[in-house]
Order: sequence, then structure tokens, then C-alpha cells
Amino acid sequence: MGFLTVLRKMKQKEKEMRILILGLDNAGKTTILKRFNGEEIDTISPTLGFNIKTLEHRGYKLNMWDVGGQKSLRSYWRNYFECTDGLIWVVDSADKRRLEDCRAELHVLLKEERLAGATLLVFANKQDLPGACSSEELKDILELEKIKTHHWQIVWCSAVTGQNLLSGIDWLINDIAARIFTLD
Amino acid sequence: MSVVSEQRKNLPDKHLETVINKEVITPEDVLRIPKITDTYLCSPDANIFEIDFTRFKIRDLESGAVLFEIAKPVPENLEDNPDKTTENEEAIDPNAGRFVRYQFTPQFLKLKMVGATVEFTVGSKPVNRFRMIERHFFRDKLLKTFDFEFGFCIPYSKNTCEHIYEFPNLPPDLVNEMIASPFETRSDSFYFVEDCLIMHNKADYAYNGGVST
Ligand SMILES: Nc1nc2c(ncn2[C@@H]2O[C@H](COP(=O)(O)OP(=O)(O)O)[C@@H](O)[C@H]2O)c(=O)[nH]1
Ligand SMILES: [Mg+2]
Repeated sequence: MGFLTVLRKMKQKEKEMRILILGLDNAGKTTILKRFNGEEIDTISPTLGFNIKTLEHRGYKLNMWDVGGQKSLRSYWRNYFECTDGLIWVVDSADKRRLEDCRAELHVLLKEERLAGATLLVFANKQDLPGACSSEELKDILELEKIKTHHWQIVWCSAVTGQNLLSGIDWLINDIAARIFTLD
Repeated sequence: MSVVSEQRKNLPDKHLETVINKEVITPEDVLRIPKITDTYLCSPDANIFEIDFTRFKIRDLESGAVLFEIAKPVPENLEDNPDKTTENEEAIDPNAGRFVRYQFTPQFLKLKMVGATVEFTVGSKPVNRFRMIERHFFRDKLLKTFDFEFGFCIPYSKNTCEHIYEFPNLPPDLVNEMIASPFETRSDSFYFVEDCLIMHNKADYAYNGGVST
């Protein structure tokens, strides 16, 4: 039995998933994490480190990591890649000036060996704002069709209204579960 | 993280004695201690990473209500304050800030889902493999163990961690005893960097708030 099999078996027992939430600063990562966990979202300040939530959802133990996205912090992201099962990439769909930066950072990330086994969920956030790009438009701008190395999906949402957050995360969990927990 | 309800065979107290005298105390050492320690297992100086806990918060997930929250005043405000009361107190008692007392009503033990948040800041050095082991006891009975690895912490970062968990199912007799015995429910929180103990905090708990005795 190989090392990976052993790891899978261990994870299977605990049904534990590690989910990493990344994206440019101000995209809405922390708001999504808090909204998903039913916390107040009106006092969020920029993240200068990480926010972790560990919770149970649908019988899985989720460890969710939201790491600050400011430029000065991005070089630290790699310290959080290890053992990641799911990557949530959060996009401010209304911040059109920074979509090119957003596309570049995402594609750099997907080359990371330690993220090779992770499912990718792209949240097209802030859909409540007028002028927000649709998820169809973002699919092109972010060149998502080019991604062949990861299971991926783009889901529109609004962290402020809470719309579609659950369906996005449920897709992610289902995809991870299908890859990790139903091997035998 | 694991919320484990377990009952271990009590090891002889010798184990604790051996641990206290060790130069480097590891996670395995503290996981084998069968009770609340009488002393802090490291000095405040062991915290060479300047890790500072700045907030504790407990909320009920069903109602959303915040049941408990304490935050340290931010250092900027302290400097504005000519009295610097907090600093003076710290100079007198080196263990201030290492101990928290929680006072709850009996209702607390009936909650189903709670979220416990800690917020901490980190000094100028990067921190590797930061791990927390928290052990909750009622008298000498182990109620639960939290074991969670934060991993890496960015220099000068401010971080939060909320554990959302189902309250352990305690037998009614035990619950009644815990309510009747304030501050006999206690916890030890051990913090490790690369498997070496650098901080030890304690807390105790009463659940008889609003109960006339
Ligand atoms: N209108 C709108 N604003 C949002 C949404 N999500 C986040 N925000 C706001 O965007 C700002 C940055 O959010 P934050 O969660 O701190 O972003 P982070 O840097 O990615 O963690 C805050 O002012 C949020 O209130 C959304 O879906 N719609
Ligand atoms: Mg943030």
C-alpha cells in the first residue's frame, strides 16, 4: 500500500477536508467565510494573516483557511498549500481594473505542485453590484477553459446577500468527496 | 482538530514530575498528563515568538448570540494612556494574561453548537508548525481534548481561528455536578512551535451564573 493510499485511508476515517480560500485582497474572502458560518459581516477589516474555521458540514469536518491577499502577503500563500483538498478562488467581479492581475495570480497558483490534487471553485463574488461581470464573462477573462490540471467550476455569488454560497461550497465538497472518499 | 471524549487510565503522577523537569516539552508529553497541572509548564519568557492572544469569543451558532467576549486593549491605545495600568499589572504578576475565568449560566451546558474564537498576533519572526493542544477537565475527569495545528504564521500577522463544534454529550449527573461545583471545570492550553512548548495558558469555568445557592 503506497503512501498516498495510506493518507487517503486516514482521511477517509475522519472525513476531513482542508479548504484554502485565496484571491486578491478585497475580493470578499473573509466575508464569504463569515457569511457561510453565520457570523456578523459588518465589522470585517483587511486580513493581515489568516482566519481559520473548523466546522462540520454534511458529516465532513471542514478546515477552511482564509489567507490575506494583499500583494505583500501573497508570497506567504505557499506556506498554506500542503494537504489542500479544495481551493476557493474569490473574484471581485466588479473590480474590472484588477481582473488581469487576478487571472495571472490564479494561473501561477495552478502550477503549484502542492496544489496539484486540489479541486478549484471560482467564486464570481459581488454579483449584487451593478456592472459586475457575469460568470460567463469571467470564464473568458480568467481563461478558465485552459485549466486541464484541476477539476474546476465557476459559481456566481454575493457574500453580502449570501446568494449561491452554499451551492458553490456543496459542489466543491461533492467533487472532493468523489475524488477522495469513494475510492474503494 | 479533534474533539475527543476519552477516559485514559491515570498514569502515575511521576509522569507529570518528569515532564516538569524536561528542557523541551513536547505534544506527546502533555497529551499523557492525566489531570490539570498545578503549575505552568513553561515560563512566560519561553514565548520567544511574541505570540499574543488578543481576543477570546464564544458564540451560540443556533441563536447567533455572543455568549462571551474579551479583548485585550490594542497596544496603540495603551501608549496613549498615561497610566499604563495594564502594563503595571503585568509587571507585578508575570502570569497575568495566562489565565481566563469564564462564568456561564447552566444554560451554557445545554447548547448544541458553539463557536470558540481566538485571535492572536505574531512578532517579527515567522512561526512554523504552530500547534495548540487544549485539555478540559472536570476534577480529574478528562472531558475533551482539542488538538489543532495552525501551521505557519506570517511575521507581524494577526490571525483568528474559530472552532465550531458540537457540544460533547455529557451525562445529566455530570452536568449537575459541574453546575454545583464552580471552577472545578478547568482547562490547560498548551502551544507548541515545532513540537516545543512555548506557551501555557489556563482557564477555569463556572456554570452556576444566576443560580441561587
Ligand atoms: N457589494 C458587495 N460587497 C462585498 C461582497 N463581498 C464582500 N464585499 C465587501 O468587500 C470588501 C472586502 O471584503 P473582505 O471580505 O474583507 O475581502 P478579502 O480581502 O478578500 O477578505 C468589504 O467591504 C466587504 O463588505 C459582495 O458580495 N457584495
Ligand atoms: Mg480578508
